[in-house]
Amino acid sequence: MSARKDVLKQQDIIGSLQPAIHVPQNWNYEVEPDLYKAYMHPPHDVGGQFDVPVRYEEKEEEQWELDTYVTCEVLGWRGLWNSEERRRRADNDLGYTLYLGIPYYGRWILAAARMLVDKGHISLVELIEKIAEVKARHGKK
Amino acid sequence: MARSRSPKNPQRPAGKARFKVGDRVRVKDLPNLFYSRTQMYVRGVVGTIAACTYQDVIPEDEAFNRDGQLEQYYIVRFRQKDLWPEYPFDNDTVQTESPERWLEPA
Repeated sequence: MSARKDVLKQQDIIGSLQPAIHVPQNWNYEVEPDLYKAYMHPPHDVGGQFDVPVRYEEKEEEQWELDTYVTCEVLGWRGLWNSEERRRRADNDLGYTLYLGIPYYGRWILAAARMLVDKGHISLVELIEKIAEVKARHGKK
Repeated sequence: MARSRSPKNPQRPAGKARFKVGDRVRVKDLPNLFYSRTQMYVRGVVGTIAACTYQDVIPEDEAFNRDGQLEQYYIVRFRQKDLWPEYPFDNDTVQTESPERWLEPA
């Protein structure tokens, strides 16, 4: 469990992740059509958009990434989901902040967990308690 | 395209292909709702059918684990200059894949 000061530090970080579009927004009652179209745009389609320069990093897959890949494939082989649900739609459904904020295979494993909960194979309580148990075992916050 | 998929329903083939190699087509700008695989950078742009590839599941169906109905897919070739006005070279092209429903005659 996190100490209260850690929770408050988290609140500051979460606040800093507000979408960096420079118009005020807070559950707008009126949304202009162009803005609506922008909101509806799926996060995975980034071609042609302006972006800040990013560092190109070439590295080998880490073990957790390979494990994630295999886990997701096996879930596919067992018929729990198909490739379009997995790699495309479920990744998009994580939303912009997560889609862009975490590693490629981070999206996959979160999408897999979400699918298993959505389709009733595991309960969210079960999953949260397991994560807490494993974190405690490894002495992580 | 190799895919790990086990269809729940018998597959229903699409009708006769609407376009043939060399046809000019424009990519539609259909509304985005929950999911789309059609890139914004080609929408509204005219290109040429480079190949009439195969029939496969409708992306918007597959994304929500529906299957059964197939549609025709094409490789569409665009001039880079048509996609990016400031692009410097006339002869360069880019190809992308599109299902028939997202294309209209141009």
